[in-house]
Amino acid sequence: MLALMAPSVVFVCLVFVLPIALFLFRAVDNSDVPRALPKLASVIGTWNEGELPPDPVYRALIEDLTVLRGSSELAVLARRLNYALPGFRGTLTRTGRMLPAADVPSAKDALVAVDAKWADPELWAVLRQQTGPVTDFFLLTALDRKRDVAGEIVPVAGDQAIFIDLYGRTLWVSLGVTLFCVILGFPIAAAMARATPAVANWMLLGVLVPFWTSLLVRTTAWVILLQNEGLVNRTLIWLGVLDTPLQLVFNRTGVYIAMVHVLLPYMILPLYSVIKGIQQSHLRAAASLGASPLRVFLTVYLPLSMPGVVAGATLVFVSAVGFYVTPALVGGPRDQMIGYFISYFTNSAVNWGLASALGAFLLLLVAITYLILGKLVGFDRLKVR
Amino acid sequence: MPFPLAAFGVLAALVAAGPAVAQQRQVTVVNQGGAPAEAQRVAVFEPFTRETGIRVVVDTYNQELARLRSQIETKNLIWDIVSLNPINEAAGCEEGLLEKIDWKQYIPAKPFDAVGGFGACGAPYLISPGVLAYDSDKLKGDQAPTSWQDFWNVEKFPGKRGMLYQPDQMLEVALIADGVAPPDVPKVLTAPGGVDRAFRKLGEIKPHVKWWRSGDESMQLILTGEVTMGYGWQGRVLAANATNKRNLKIVWPAGYVNAIIYLGVMKGTPRKDDAIKLIQYNLSTPAMARYADIMGLPPANAETYPLLSEAKRADLPGQYLDRGMMQGGSTYINFWLDNGDAIRQRFATFVAQ
Repeated sequence: MLALMAPSVVFVCLVFVLPIALFLFRAVDNSDVPRALPKLASVIGTWNEGELPPDPVYRALIEDLTVLRGSSELAVLARRLNYALPGFRGTLTRTGRMLPAADVPSAKDALVAVDAKWADPELWAVLRQQTGPVTDFFLLTALDRKRDVAGEIVPVAGDQAIFIDLYGRTLWVSLGVTLFCVILGFPIAAAMARATPAVANWMLLGVLVPFWTSLLVRTTAWVILLQNEGLVNRTLIWLGVLDTPLQLVFNRTGVYIAMVHVLLPYMILPLYSVIKGIQQSHLRAAASLGASPLRVFLTVYLPLSMPGVVAGATLVFVSAVGFYVTPALVGGPRDQMIGYFISYFTNSAVNWGLASALGAFLLLLVAITYLILGKLVGFDRLKVR
Repeated sequence: MPFPLAAFGVLAALVAAGPAVAQQRQVTVVNQGGAPAEAQRVAVFEPFTRETGIRVVVDTYNQELARLRSQIETKNLIWDIVSLNPINEAAGCEEGLLEKIDWKQYIPAKPFDAVGGFGACGAPYLISPGVLAYDSDKLKGDQAPTSWQDFWNVEKFPGKRGMLYQPDQMLEVALIADGVAPPDVPKVLTAPGGVDRAFRKLGEIKPHVKWWRSGDESMQLILTGEVTMGYGWQGRVLAANATNKRNLKIVWPAGYVNAIIYLGVMKGTPRKDDAIKLIQYNLSTPAMARYADIMGLPPANAETYPLLSEAKRADLPGQYLDRGMMQGGSTYINFWLDNGDAIRQRFATFVAQ
């Protein structure tokens, strides 16, 4: 048995557990900075937070920069430190170009002469905080927090605070989508379970065909249907229901419509398999004992189908939290979810530390939801049958 | 890691070295796709292959610097030549993603002076103006906008406005609308308070803006009437008119934003010589004239202008050259490299509120 399982365990470890662990480590990994500034890293604890360092620290910086001068590592380091303090890149590259000799009488005066920012305690606080082998910088940024000159954790300025809202929005939209999927999916699954096998097969096909269609195709199709000059608006205007087109796409409505459509099969399929297994004799027994149809539904049918609802809702919710292509295409700027920004920081801004930190909190969010759901309905019910 | 990668390399080399393509020299170019890429293929790459026998493979990207970095870091180069916006040209050059090349050795420098000359790594090959555009079949006479002030005036010109979902270019446009002469925009924007002023001005129009992300989308919005007027790139406006038989109009005198697009060579490519040869060819006057004739974009090579047809020259900013704002110069580029991340974050927050 163990020997049979070994290949799949190794496979899962190699392509799933290991990459995720490495990716999560990126959120705190800061080894690039001490590697680029070894001398500075060795004297980093020799002055008080919030104060200007003594001359040997300035000298260590000059020595490190002498090694880095003109290399691409200096540019990479500059970009990294610029995340923490906009403008640091300029200071560092300028200093690299006009570097004083390491044996000047006062290393501090020499550096300040190149760029007055070297006399700014904020710059040194950033260097001090960012020169350790690990950093909480990305994790704090992902929570709209930063460390001030004294090393205390404080909220970032209002115009930079973006991620907490994004997590809230991601959670909110995903919950909404899940709710709509339950409301729309339940009757369909129930009807499928009651239909004759031939009809049920056709209905299943109706659920599966969109499921097999590419996500991009379906999302783009919604844009075409819902836009101001699209089929839906034109028909409604032609029928006289509307005078001016309804704004159905590039806003939250569009996001809900497209996401519910994309995720509905994930709700219907597990729900259908559970409802299909409900013994008709239970329902008949309840009815023969005098229960009204509503009572049969509420006390027998609904509780028996609950495992399907929970399993489907979990699938839909977990998938929805990570969505970014669909909101990017059918949503406006107010409807982007956290996935969009993870992709932005990975591909465009090339800030992989922040992308990892955002991903880590997203993973945490999903894990917490799963735990809460598990506590509420029992973990064995979360299985998808 | 190096071993499996090397093994892949060997495998790839074996696959690539099939008999049919044996000894075929080729370079891979990456650009942003769409109509400009198609024009480049017809005007530059195909004649280049005919003349030199070097095959040109074209790939597409969206200026994601990360994709250059991952190729360099894994030592698995897919691209040889990269099309770059001014900020990426500077950043990629500094961070060692691009070869430092002294282009003056290969290409006469004088015709490129007007666009700021060669970069440390890249050579400019086209100018992409971002302009105020509207549908001249819908807005006529004094209903038509003539300035960015009109763009901001939703009382006289009711309706939505299309704008690019990205702060660079939009902050510049906001400053032009706020009365800054286009050539002074870099100076004002990079001065203290410049960014705040631009955001304040953007805030006035924000409730009426539909933000777009791709060039296609920008034209869709104007063509379908979702917006009354919009910011768009000249190449896209001309392409939209040509394919849809429409009359979108560019308001050159309002002022516009000029992005200079560069070609650079990937650091460490074994095909560096062929890559330089292709860039040299791309920037030569005849190739640039063919390209400008198809695409209608202003060529970076000033000697190209006399070769263009009268009609093409009419599409170009021509007499309104002084109304153009150049996205260039070391102050401007360094400003964006230093503050770009913070400004983009502020922009995302600003738009979402």
